[in-house]
Amino acid sequence: MVAWLTGFAIFWSLVGMAAGIYVAAELVWPTLDFGREWLSYGRLRNLHTNVVIFGFGIAALMGTAFYSVQRTCHVPLFAPGLAWFCALAWQVVILLGGLSLLAGWNGGKEYAELEWPFDIAITVIWVSFAVVFFGTIAKRRIQQIYVSNWFYGALIIVIAMLHIVNSQAIPVAWSKSYSLFAGAQDAVVQWWYGHNAVGFLLTGGFLGMLYYFLPKHADRPIWSYRLSIVAFWAFTYSYIWAGPHHLHYNAVPEWVQSLGMVMSLVLLAPSWATLVNGVMTVAGAWEKLRTDPALKFIVLSLAFYGLATFEGPMMAIKSVNVVSHFTDWTIGHVHSGALGWNALITFGTFYFLLPRLVGAELYSHSLANWHFWLALAGVMLYVLAMWGAGVSQGLLWLSLDEIGELRYSFKDIMASMAPYYALRLVAGCSFFIGAVLMAYNLWMTAKGRSVVRATPPPVVGEAW
Amino acid sequence: MDALLTPWRFARLITRPAEAGARLAADTPDTPAVLLRLVIPLSLIPPLFAYIGGATFGWRLGGGEPLYISPAGLTLISLAYFIALVAGFLSTAVVARWMADTYGARLEFGSHLSFVVLVGMPVILASLGHLVPHVFINLLVMIPALIWSLYLLYRCLPAALGTSQERGMLMASSLVAYLLVASVSLLGITVVLWSGGIGPNLGV
Repeated sequence: MVAWLTGFAIFWSLVGMAAGIYVAAELVWPTLDFGREWLSYGRLRNLHTNVVIFGFGIAALMGTAFYSVQRTCHVPLFAPGLAWFCALAWQVVILLGGLSLLAGWNGGKEYAELEWPFDIAITVIWVSFAVVFFGTIAKRRIQQIYVSNWFYGALIIVIAMLHIVNSQAIPVAWSKSYSLFAGAQDAVVQWWYGHNAVGFLLTGGFLGMLYYFLPKHADRPIWSYRLSIVAFWAFTYSYIWAGPHHLHYNAVPEWVQSLGMVMSLVLLAPSWATLVNGVMTVAGAWEKLRTDPALKFIVLSLAFYGLATFEGPMMAIKSVNVVSHFTDWTIGHVHSGALGWNALITFGTFYFLLPRLVGAELYSHSLANWHFWLALAGVMLYVLAMWGAGVSQGLLWLSLDEIGELRYSFKDIMASMAPYYALRLVAGCSFFIGAVLMAYNLWMTAKGRSVVRATPPPVVGEAW
Repeated sequence: MDALLTPWRFARLITRPAEAGARLAADTPDTPAVLLRLVIPLSLIPPLFAYIGGATFGWRLGGGEPLYISPAGLTLISLAYFIALVAGFLSTAVVARWMADTYGARLEFGSHLSFVVLVGMPVILASLGHLVPHVFINLLVMIPALIWSLYLLYRCLPAALGTSQERGMLMASSLVAYLLVASVSLLGITVVLWSGGIGPNLGV
């Protein structure tokens, strides 16, 4: 099942990135939609974000959670049939949900666009995921619950809470519903959901992956286990408050905005505690770099994790946000996290995991090295292009002339962005080609082989 | 070593990465000498180009008329640019020296500072693009320079700072993390200054 989920994740990463490249090309050549609604930016962009976050991201997290929870608890999965249901039903939801987005079904909430029938299906699958995961933890043979399970557990609980609250809506047709919340309350609930989806899925979930697979890669324990637990609780406590920074200078109370800003700044401490822990763990395992091409991905992902978790709180400061908000700087920030952190750590994990799942050596170290440099070039170019575009937009939109009128028109500003968008397209292609190389490399590694069946290793010391 | 401590010699070294690391490793330069003979003169170049370009043509950000800043404003911004560059070289060298224990690199601060100058050299030379003050053109010029700087960082660090290839790779990646954070901090500080009324006339 873990091998299948790895395969699904790679498939969705290619589909999602291809959609991203297409919408990036549409921003350079707007007629690329050929007048067809399903090819329009408004529909493909949602397909891109949903497939990448929920198709690629969740399939990768579900697979690695199912793998690591068995290893760390020394027992097989609780209710394996239910686990198979989660794994397969999730792919069906992503496939049909993606098609529904192309058909124009859209709930209108960012990162929660899927309509109510899918929301109900997601709830059922997610509760099944929780039953399997926590059921496995409940029957564990080791008393201590390893830190990666705390992060995966937080992912499951918090995403369930966010999804159920934010998806409350009144259906009026199969394809349309209206949010139960109205006005500013709707915005607050939406960004409580949106920001914590970033927090507990794209940050916390992938930290679960880091805390299990980094020590495995490095073949040594995490540098400070105590620090990892302190970071977990500080992260969990502070992240949940930070959502209102998406609503600066909007129709929500000033104190709510300020609270969101302050809690976003507080968040830097637990985020960087994990960064220090990761860097120091890998620093002692330098000799592994000779034999493990995947470790480079993890090292680089930590660098971008550091950037994204610093940049986010900085952009939450109101005097920065006044310039950065609604510009491509935000898109650059999101992608430094999504490409630089989430994708790279997942790729590094897959290069480690899949050869072990099928009991073979990686097909080509050289292809993995090419992938590394293409990914690094892609993410750097992307971030630089969006920094240039975003800061220019912020400056131009706010520029006043001698009599206090806006100096530049919105249309002219956007027209001048085409070169940056072309550069972003090149960056996306570089990253995508790297991912295709990985898919080929892993396919050739697994081709014709069956999955290795492992039995839980004996518990050293006193079993629980 | 003194003969090496000239901007011209460093500019030539970046075209020979294979020997650059070994050349830096061969000596232990004094920190004040690196500061006075390399860091300060090189840090004057980008602000000077930016001043000349900005005063002559105005900055084009796209979207219409170029943005002209008064001579006093340009002087202030160029001065801030110079200070940011010197602070950038010094802080990166401090961070590299701080990491040296962890990655088994040499401990002399002067060596770290001269290595940081080597890595920054392509970007300093690419600031020639400031004479054509268009943001996108400068971005296009800076990208190959940054790629070359990154290449020098990874390629030359093990030899220049006396550590193994593998530990050098990890140290270089840690420095990339610091440089990314430092770059975005600079961006943030600049925007805060704009929001506070220093710089262009913004409606905030």
